[in-house]
Amino acid sequence: MASRLLFSSLRQVQKLQKACIHGRSRIGNREVVGFGFNGQYSYQDRIDFPMPAIRFKESTPDIVALREKEKGDWRKLTLEEKKALYRASFCMTFTEMNAPTGEWKSIIGIACVLISIGIWVFILERLFVYKELPTSFSEESKKAQLKRMIDLRVNPIEGISSKFDYEKGEWK
Amino acid sequence: MLRTLVCRIHSVVRSVAIQNIGRTTSVVPTRLMSQHSTETDEEFDRRYEAYFNRQDIDGWEIRKAMNDLAGMDLVPEPKIISAALRACRRVSDFALAVRFLEAVQSKCGGRVKEIYPYILQEIRPTLDELGVSTPEEMGYHKPELALKNVYEI
Repeated sequence: MASRLLFSSLRQVQKLQKACIHGRSRIGNREVVGFGFNGQYSYQDRIDFPMPAIRFKESTPDIVALREKEKGDWRKLTLEEKKALYRASFCMTFTEMNAPTGEWKSIIGIACVLISIGIWVFILERLFVYKELPTSFSEESKKAQLKRMIDLRVNPIEGISSKFDYEKGEWK
Repeated sequence: MLRTLVCRIHSVVRSVAIQNIGRTTSVVPTRLMSQHSTETDEEFDRRYEAYFNRQDIDGWEIRKAMNDLAGMDLVPEPKIISAALRACRRVSDFALAVRFLEAVQSKCGGRVKEIYPYILQEIRPTLDELGVSTPEEMGYHKPELALKNVYEI
């Protein structure tokens, strides 16, 4: 009994999955016209796969009537009808796909705002958070440090003492 | 319940295994090596022209070939394009014809100013005969409609 229940419910799930895999349950009465990218009934404007699996618009009576007219001579179609046929099958033209979105402006703007917030945080920390620098950072202390390094002949081969002439007592 | 499940799985696995044994013995051994296509450009053009020229071609096959062509590193020859347009005419799909012309234009890439006028000039008789408008004639060389932002719908 339990197993029969299990298998009948599994069969239901399987049926549902089959409908979902291809997306038949979600496309309304749109016409399926091809394989598309991966066999699913989905619409996407892609340059590398220009022909999706389904038409973009559902088959309304207007479009069905237009399709009947399409079976005749195409030279008798007006420009509006041609455009309507195109837009019934496809959402965007190639130029619309390639059109710039202007998104770079907001990206640059937001980036500048965030950077300026960081700079302000740094300035305020310097003003209100950190203590004064130690006295060894003063001009006199730094000069004294340099003098002492020369007296101790620090790094005499390539470094600071090699650039000091000890006989004349000045920089080379 | 577990027993029924196991029995079912066993029978499925056994039937598949038996099928596969039968199949593997009959398969001719092939080496899984890469091989380069020896098809010349002329053969390629003829193959696609013949494909589009088939009288009973349907929309699925047309779209398949067009998607394939859009994925290749080439611009289709004008004769292939003419054959494709005629195939669109046979299945009465005007939008497909215009979309294919757009795809061809997109395939011209950076040299669209050299290649695309030549293609148009070559396929002009077919265009006039079938009444297909080029994307330029339909005003699709410039963006016509803008999509609404999906986050604002």
